[in-house]
Amino acid sequence: MPEVDEEDLTRKQRREQAREQRKAAEAAATADATRRRRLTQLGGVVVVVVVAIVVILIATGGGGGRTKVPEKHEQNAIANEVNARLEGIPQSGRTIGSPSAPVTMQYFGDLECPICKKFSDKSGALPALIAGPVKDGKLRIEYMNLQTATRNPETFKTQQKAAMAAGPQKKQWNYIELFYNEQGEEDTEYVNEAYLQGLAKQIPGLNLSKWQSERSNPTFESELQTDAQLANNSGLTGTPSFLIGHSGGQLKSYEWSSLTDPKPFEEQIEKAAKE
Amino acid sequence: MSARTLRITLIVLTVIGIGLATYLTYIHYANVKPLCGKGGGSCLKVQTSQYSKLAGVPVALIGLIGYIAILGTLLAPDEERWRFATVALTLGGFGFSVYLTGREVFTLEEICEYCVGSAVLMTVLLGLSTWRFLRGDQPPAEPAGIEGGPAEAGEKPPAPARA
Repeated sequence: MPEVDEEDLTRKQRREQAREQRKAAEAAATADATRRRRLTQLGGVVVVVVVAIVVILIATGGGGGRTKVPEKHEQNAIANEVNARLEGIPQSGRTIGSPSAPVTMQYFGDLECPICKKFSDKSGALPALIAGPVKDGKLRIEYMNLQTATRNPETFKTQQKAAMAAGPQKKQWNYIELFYNEQGEEDTEYVNEAYLQGLAKQIPGLNLSKWQSERSNPTFESELQTDAQLANNSGLTGTPSFLIGHSGGQLKSYEWSSLTDPKPFEEQIEKAAKE
Repeated sequence: MSARTLRITLIVLTVIGIGLATYLTYIHYANVKPLCGKGGGSCLKVQTSQYSKLAGVPVALIGLIGYIAILGTLLAPDEERWRFATVALTLGGFGFSVYLTGREVFTLEEICEYCVGSAVLMTVLLGLSTWRFLRGDQPPAEPAGIEGGPAEAGEKPPAPARA
């Protein structure tokens, strides 16, 4: 009967339709469950990452109170090494090396600058330059003051003046090199009176009372300003920065490429000597 | 974007990240001046700060290891677990980048272009890898005129109903 066939067909179509709807619903539910599972997994990772960052922040944060300057026994070893390095090398105020050296290098530094520390380290280029061209009378180095790493301008002045105060006793470079080699961690406010006095006590032959009274020398203030002005005029913004040239002539900015390899410095010094 | 294109894009970005992290690691150990702002001073200040190391390990080296690990998960078979590993690593890398950028901006007040570059790269990697993970497997593209493309490993969504 045609009517029955039509009815059967309609029933079949309905069943088919219902099956497809059920399949679609199941697929949607599966997709939804998968998506939720993935989001939960991501959420778990986010929580782990956040916790890790908080732990790192707590471990590395603050800074106050953590000075990380070398221990006493380490200081003794550093002082012995640094003082031996400078022994017998002529010093005059901020200058190390023979006054008649044909080449002059002005070294702009901030005593708290950690990059300068790399230059002054045992493995840095500076000890090699002192043991080489400076000792041989080919080079003299003038230490210039430029505030970069030290946050507080007053702290900067105090520490740089403490080094300058050793100059009249021909020990300024001992102070500078001890400061760099015993440097604390940046931004930890390790520079205080005890630290500055401690450095002075490690310099053999330094008259402490003379050094102490020299610290208030009013000319130091103007020297700091002159150095900053010279750096500005020479376009120097960072430390360490260098001006190298024939002594008595125009010094030119030297763009250093390595602070541990003395060769590029020596090449520049040779070049300046021939000018 | 097809799954293949997305994966290749992620690999290319990761290789760029490896390049950046390798350069920063080299600078750290070789003590050479990086080529960046303020005559290299900004990058040097960041690179030599107390935050340039974590538990004594240079963060540049940690970044390099991270990028290599990400590359490893991208070169592994295209399966759900590896896609999850990629997103987990990029999420970790992103979090670490946020921390380091915060240190640069708020603590050191200096910006190292390479570090920022790496942070941007890690952010893009996170976005793309999250998208890749959440969307799961995609049916392979069918070349015109040919029924059925090359099968990809991993789970498959239900085949689309044919009319």
